[in-house]
Amino acid sequence: MTVPGSTGQDPPQGRGPDAPGDVLPASQGVPLTPDPTGIWHRVHPVSPLVRGWIAVAAIAYFFGRDWFETVFRGEEFWGLSGGRAVWTVLIVAGVVLLLLAGFFLSWWFTRYQVTDDHVRVNSGVLFRQHRQARLDRVQAIDVIQPLLARIFGLAELKFEVADAGESAVRLAYLPLASAQELRATILARAAGLTSAPGHAQEPVPEAPEQQILAVPGSRIVGAALLSGTTVFLVIMLIAAGLSTFVFDAAFGPALLLPAAFGVAAGYWSTFSTGYNFRAAVSPDGIRLRYGLLETRAQTVPPGRVQAVEIMQSPLWRFKGWYRMRVNVAGYGVSTENSGARTTLLPVGTQQEVMQMLALVLPDPGTEDPFTVFAAGLDGIADTEQNDGGASDDGFVTSPRRVRWLSWLTWRRNGFAVTGTALLARGGRLWRSLAVVPHERTQSIALHQGPLARRLRVADLRLHTTTGPVTPVVYQIDADTARRLFDEQASRAAAARRRSLPERWLEARSEATPDALSGPGSEPATGRPAGHQPQQEAQQPQQDGHHPEQESHHGG
Amino acid sequence: MPSEAIDPAWINWIRVSPKYITVQLIGWAIFTVVALAVLSVPLALLLTGVWPDFPAWLAWLLSVGTLVARIWIGLLIPRQVRAIGYAERDEDLLIRRGLFFQRVMVVPYGRMQYVDVAVGPLERAFGLCSVKLHTASPQTNASIPGVPAAEGARLREQLSDRGQARLAGL
Repeated sequence: MTVPGSTGQDPPQGRGPDAPGDVLPASQGVPLTPDPTGIWHRVHPVSPLVRGWIAVAAIAYFFGRDWFETVFRGEEFWGLSGGRAVWTVLIVAGVVLLLLAGFFLSWWFTRYQVTDDHVRVNSGVLFRQHRQARLDRVQAIDVIQPLLARIFGLAELKFEVADAGESAVRLAYLPLASAQELRATILARAAGLTSAPGHAQEPVPEAPEQQILAVPGSRIVGAALLSGTTVFLVIMLIAAGLSTFVFDAAFGPALLLPAAFGVAAGYWSTFSTGYNFRAAVSPDGIRLRYGLLETRAQTVPPGRVQAVEIMQSPLWRFKGWYRMRVNVAGYGVSTENSGARTTLLPVGTQQEVMQMLALVLPDPGTEDPFTVFAAGLDGIADTEQNDGGASDDGFVTSPRRVRWLSWLTWRRNGFAVTGTALLARGGRLWRSLAVVPHERTQSIALHQGPLARRLRVADLRLHTTTGPVTPVVYQIDADTARRLFDEQASRAAAARRRSLPERWLEARSEATPDALSGPGSEPATGRPAGHQPQQEAQQPQQDGHHPEQESHHGG
Repeated sequence: MPSEAIDPAWINWIRVSPKYITVQLIGWAIFTVVALAVLSVPLALLLTGVWPDFPAWLAWLLSVGTLVARIWIGLLIPRQVRAIGYAERDEDLLIRRGLFFQRVMVVPYGRMQYVDVAVGPLERAFGLCSVKLHTASPQTNASIPGVPAAEGARLREQLSDRGQARLAGL
């Protein structure tokens, strides 16, 4: 029996191949740092309660309501009359005990471990599940705090790999500090930083980060008010008014009540998910934080963004606002949190869009990125242009001959190619610009229907991982499209050859072994907590372009 | 088949087996018979006098319309099959298909996650198989139907080998 702090109950099975490891409850200190001996940890003991609070609330409601009602009616509670009190208490106690036992068992059998290469989670009481994920396969890490968990100071950690579905590893719940420390550890290992022997028990410091932007609350409110929800509201009001006027009947309330719920929900989700949105950059990648009741902190390591889309709805044009969405392999298209996870910027000005683009695409591959991207956001080709689809500030648009087919969008639909990415723009009312880094292109297809063949145009589709962004270049001249198709295939192949390694800091730490290798590089004796981040705060800007530059020379 | 407007230049397409036309035609015939039988029920009822109130024009339209549409589709099958082609290049595989709605797709070897070889009962009878490539993108719908079994096995090995040699992350 090697389990300190245990209740003397030996877990029957499921210790697995790593049985010699000790099991430490997570509540004892924060033993989440490197564990070469393969120590297993448990999540916080309160977590089943936080997860299963609905069951608890339901039981409390069920018993509580009856009791309250009878008490307020002045009657005697059925369960307590005529000597049945004992049984009632016993039943209630039994249910509570069963619940607590279930909570305890699920907590007891959920254990996790972080080694140099893997994160492992064992869970399940009757149906055991052992799961193991490679750290360098990480696509994103989220630290989530639902409202109840926030009250307890707990957080859930989600580890995403590229399966576009459920999270590979979910650890719910850990103390917030532990979750953050674990995230730092995982990211450091995934980045290819190895802890030096002898310092293995040192905690990995959180990578220094630099805030890029914060979206003010007033703008979130404005964005919600100017969103499609408002258009819907106006239409509903007109319809209700007309129906009342025409039919002389009070259809209004019946029609408006469900609509009001929908509108309120729409406004609420925009507001609550965009509230307090902040974006920061660190050597570990992009950090996004947001949320009103449930707060989330997302980390997307470098090179994990597969595609970006910048959109502008018609009402937002008055304020010059844009929304950015991303495809990240681990996020998929889950509607969880109404797509907030795949939102890179809920609402931002053009300058903020450029800042975020600079994070996603550190090397834009052009001399004058601002002009090119601005043309992608707002540009529109001249009416007078030659038949081949003229160049308009770097964008090649649909030829003039398709103007009767897509009379609204033919001057917007177009593409531009920089050294590192393909830009596909489109949409006149709902403007959009999709940016796909060359090395992230999965496959490419040319499509041509009968009408398009008559007009000698074709669509080019770039395939990326599952997500909200589907980059398509609509209706470009067939010869241009064919050339783009060929060139893009070879550009993507060339870009893949010189792309960043999956362990994104490996190249860098070889170049400057002492710069960022953290605790292993210096004696970590009594280092003041505030000292380290300041010292390393200058690193990201300098080092941010190192891998690209190296790889360009190398490639 | 002549090179189409959106095909990349200098590509020698490998066409799928002509036997695949037969496979497609058999499937087409079965479906046509079933569809005709179902959609001719009103006409049969009308002519036998069981359901005299059924509008005659609709009953005739259902039957004749289905027949004409199915014959039209059947006539297209040989040309559609001949329009399917693939070509192996150094870095990627090209796949084309379609007559009216044409599509040319390029799948880089380094982007392939896995290769499927599937054989249905009809295909097996004719010694054919379907090769399907999967990338990390669900939009990559890269299947090559009607490949002779030996060629399918060769293609699978070749693609796996090349994929391994040029393997890239996501």
